[in-house]
Amino acid sequence: MHEVQEIDTTGRRVRVHDLQSGKLDWEPYDQLLIATGALPICPDLPGSDAVNICGVNTLESGLDIRRRLDKRGMKRGVVVGGGYIGLEMAEALVRDGLEVSLIDRGAQVMGTLDEEMGALVSQALQEIGVTLYLEEALMEFQTKGGKVTGIVTDKRTLPADILILGLGVHPNTALAAAAGIPLGEKGSIRVNERMETGIAGIWAAGDCAESFHLVSRRPFYIALGTVANRHGRVAGINLGGGYATFPGVVGTAVTKICQVEVARTGLQEKEIKALGLEHVSAVIKSRTKAGYFPGAGEITVKLLAEKGSGRLLGGQIVGMEGSAKRIDTLATALHAGFTVEEMINLDLGYAPPFSPVWDPVVIAAREVAKKL
Amino acid sequence: MTKEKLVVIGGDAAGMSAASQAKRRRPELDIVVFERSPHTSFSA
Repeated sequence: MHEVQEIDTTGRRVRVHDLQSGKLDWEPYDQLLIATGALPICPDLPGSDAVNICGVNTLESGLDIRRRLDKRGMKRGVVVGGGYIGLEMAEALVRDGLEVSLIDRGAQVMGTLDEEMGALVSQALQEIGVTLYLEEALMEFQTKGGKVTGIVTDKRTLPADILILGLGVHPNTALAAAAGIPLGEKGSIRVNERMETGIAGIWAAGDCAESFHLVSRRPFYIALGTVANRHGRVAGINLGGGYATFPGVVGTAVTKICQVEVARTGLQEKEIKALGLEHVSAVIKSRTKAGYFPGAGEITVKLLAEKGSGRLLGGQIVGMEGSAKRIDTLATALHAGFTVEEMINLDLGYAPPFSPVWDPVVIAAREVAKKL
Repeated sequence: MTKEKLVVIGGDAAGMSAASQAKRRRPELDIVVFERSPHTSFSA
C-alpha cells in the first residue's frame, strides 16, 4: 500500500507515501512506467461528498458494495448511468432481490450502441424488472448524516438504500500532468507505438494511456482491461530490452444483462457522422443455432460500412447465448480492413448446434452489400 | 555498476503485465511496483 505523490523527471525519482507507516521517501528510477489507471466520474453536485456513494472501479469498491448488500433491510437500489458498469450492477442488484431503478440522461442505455440496438438492451433491462428513467439528469444527492438516502433528478426523487454510479471513467493522470508529461485524448497520457511518453525513459500503459483507433485512424481513449493487458505486455517487452508495438484498437466491448448478450466494435453511427464519412447499414435478425435446433435463440446484428467502398466500419450485436463473441469475427474484419463483400465469403464454422448455415454476421454483411 | 532499475506506478493489469514481461526478458532488472490499494492484478 504505497502511493506515488510526485514524479521528478529531472532527478529521475518518485516521491512515495507509505500508506501504512505514513513515511515519505524518494525512490530513484532509470525507467519509469505509469500505470495509474482510471477514476470513476463523480459529478460535483449537492451531496456528492456523502460516504456511501458507490463508484465501481477497484476490487475494494466491489467488496464494499458486497458488504453493504449483505446488510439487512436493503430494498431499493438506484443506478445512475446506463453504460456497461451500470447495466451489470443493475443485474447484480436485481439478483440480490432489490427493487432497482436506473437513470440515464441519454435517450437510451448503452450509448456505445446505435439507437435501435440500445432499445433492445433497454427492453432486456425492463424484462428483468429494472425501472428505467431515460432522458433524466441527476441534479442532487439527498443525504442524511453524511450518508446518501436518494437522488433527485430533473423529474423525480428516488429514495435509495444503495446508490451506484456508473458514469464512466476518466484517466488518472494528475500525477503525470503535474510532471509535465504530454497528455492527449480526454487527458490520457500520449504514447508512441512502443508505449513511451513524450519524456524519454517514461512509459505509460493501461487505462491512463492513450490508444489509436484503427478505423477512424485517430487518437482514441478507451479504458478496458483487455486493452490494459495488451498495453502492459508491449511496454514490458520494450522495457525488457525487446521491441514490440501496439498498433491500436477497434473499440470492441462485450457485456450481458442476465440472458441477453451485448457486443459492439468499430465506429457507431454518431462517430461515423462526426468523421464526415458516408455510410450504409443493415440490421438483421437471425438465430444463434440452426433454426430447428433446440436452444436456438434470437440474435440481432447491425453492420455499418462505408458507402461506395464497402469497407466495414463497425458492428453491434444483441442476442441470446452465443451472440456476443460473434463480435470477434467483426473485430478481426476491422483489423484486416475487410469490405462487406469480402466478409460474405469468409469460411466460418457451421454445424446446426453452433450457427445457421449462413452465420448471422455474414447475413448482415450480405444485406449491407446490397445497399452499397 | 548498480543494476538498472524500473519503477512501476500502479500494480493492476497494465503495471503487472509490464513488470512480469520485463522481468522475464531481463531477470537482472531491478523492478519496484507501487500500488496504493491492498490488491494487485485483480483485472489482469
